[in-house]
Amino acid sequence: MATPEAVQLAPAGNSVLMHRNRHGFWWRFSRNRLAVVSLAVAILLILLATAGPLWYGVDANYQDYDAINSWPSSAHPLGADSLGRDTLARIMQGLRVSLTVAFYVELITIAVGATLGLLAGYAGGHVDNVISRFADMLFAFPGLLFAILIAAVFGQAVTERFGGIGRLLLVAGSLALVSWPLMARYVRGQTLTLKERDFVGAARSIGASNGRIMRSHIMPGVIGLIVISATLDVAAVVVNEAVLSLLGLGIQPPDPSVGQMIRQSIDYLETNWTQVLFPSLVLTLLVLVFSFVGDGLRDAVDPQSATHAERSNAPPRRRLSRSISYPVALSVVHML
Amino acid sequence: MAPLISRRLLSLIFVIFSITFLTFIVGSLAPGDPILVMMGPRRDPAIYENLRHQYGLDLPWWQQYFNYVGGLLHGDLGMSYRYQGRSVNEILGGGVGVSISLGFAALAVSLLIGIPLGILAALRQNSWFDRTSMITMLALFSIPTFVMIPILRAFNYYVLYKNGLPSLPPAGWGTPAHWVLPVIVLAAVSMGYMARLTRSSMLETLRQDYIRTANAKGLPQRRVVGVHALRNALLPIVTVIGPAMAFLVTGSFVVESLFAIPGVGFIGVQAISQRDYPVIQGTTVVLAVAVVVMNLVTDILYTVLDPRIKSEG
Repeated sequence: MATPEAVQLAPAGNSVLMHRNRHGFWWRFSRNRLAVVSLAVAILLILLATAGPLWYGVDANYQDYDAINSWPSSAHPLGADSLGRDTLARIMQGLRVSLTVAFYVELITIAVGATLGLLAGYAGGHVDNVISRFADMLFAFPGLLFAILIAAVFGQAVTERFGGIGRLLLVAGSLALVSWPLMARYVRGQTLTLKERDFVGAARSIGASNGRIMRSHIMPGVIGLIVISATLDVAAVVVNEAVLSLLGLGIQPPDPSVGQMIRQSIDYLETNWTQVLFPSLVLTLLVLVFSFVGDGLRDAVDPQSATHAERSNAPPRRRLSRSISYPVALSVVHML
Repeated sequence: MAPLISRRLLSLIFVIFSITFLTFIVGSLAPGDPILVMMGPRRDPAIYENLRHQYGLDLPWWQQYFNYVGGLLHGDLGMSYRYQGRSVNEILGGGVGVSISLGFAALAVSLLIGIPLGILAALRQNSWFDRTSMITMLALFSIPTFVMIPILRAFNYYVLYKNGLPSLPPAGWGTPAHWVLPVIVLAAVSMGYMARLTRSSMLETLRQDYIRTANAKGLPQRRVVGVHALRNALLPIVTVIGPAMAFLVTGSFVVESLFAIPGVGFIGVQAISQRDYPVIQGTTVVLAVAVVVMNLVTDILYTVLDPRIKSEG
């Protein structure tokens, strides 16, 4: 975890030529024990979500009326919820939902945010103005407010017309709407600094086209930043998706999502506390693991690359809050 | 100072325009005809046209937007679709006070506990107090808000209530006891963050030359820390008050609906389930503008506290 001290103590590296240090990227990553363990847990959670249901063939929506609110037992390893549904099976399904949503969100964020950021930074001028002002408009909404608005207004119609998949994409889309401006801002900042570097000037002087400069000289310099921001953002998206579920705007019942499971089982806390414990643990784990992996990646690439990008053009108030990683509240805080 | 404030005010206008414009666009793209929903099975074209006119929906969209903004300038958020004859102001009105007092209570708690804890931890760097308090604070700001709720409620029920100790109401609103759990939940994340930020900022400040000078002059430790160091160490804290407010807004949706507190967030969630778009829009605008204005206040506060910004910005 990059605490403020850690950020300051870390040696200043070269934000562009990330492979030129004495040791390779993976060597530096592997020295960070927390990040390595987190990566292992993240892979385990992904396996649980994808291969888990194959190995544990219990229907997540099957109601076992003898097991209502039951404690962990041989029949139900993690117990069953207030409707007698198996908690382990639901957690696997819910994890799959969380991770799928996060995957789509990052896909959109990278496709839209990184592309627009690259364009804005490289082209400058009017293009930059239009893109930046548009991003600023979305930044105006604090936290999840805009995602809540979108999901609330279009939720029912989308579900009626396109079913569960449509709903999932709507949730992902509304969360991506909140995520991409930050990505665009990061990438734009990084592109601006790269554009002024000598090797770009050199490439231009030998007649390289804009497309070629972007592809072979700018892209390699921003790709690390993109991967790191996306990984860190997953932690935020998982929580945000849970918040939407909790407000009844996420994946619709009976399909499980981790946030929904917590919401439903809170009311039975006094009867059986294990039912709220397991989904809460999984959610917390998911969030921590992705923040630690993201922090580890950032420190391995370059301690300052993730924070360097926005330094040059952010007002003073933003500098500090952005330069410190804020694992859980990440997206919420980054909105401002 | 004056140019800075005027520039900030200009950006405030842009931000408020963005919020109202996007909110309006989303609201007017909302699927379904609200008037048809409102009328139910009675389909009288005359009444239909009448209602459409009453809500201004027969005008072109840009005129609707101007009317909407014009209303906002007078503090009028429009009329509810769900409750005919009730204005959004009336519906949200009761919640605003509740949400504001809850939000400020949470902010105050996080500042009043977070900052002193951070200072003490910095003064006793690497002591057991430093370690335990900072690990606790790390845990507080790593646990998602609504995982915090079951933890606190479980503690309240299994540790306090079951042992016959005085316990807190698990939900509801009215007595002072109802405040405790929601405020802790809302304050936890910012408290953890502020404590850690104060600690690192204090440590950084204590290394500065002027602190050594103050110590060398023989000033009492209390004065060096309390006057010379504290003023500068607290600057970064001011910068995170804005983001903390934004966090409280999202948090208020979760906390108010899980604790059944009749604030703006709770009303917003109800409006979501009733598809009462004007109320949803109103909630968004009210909350967003509140945060934006708070940000402006912290920006100005920051320039007052740190004179260097004036020349730079």
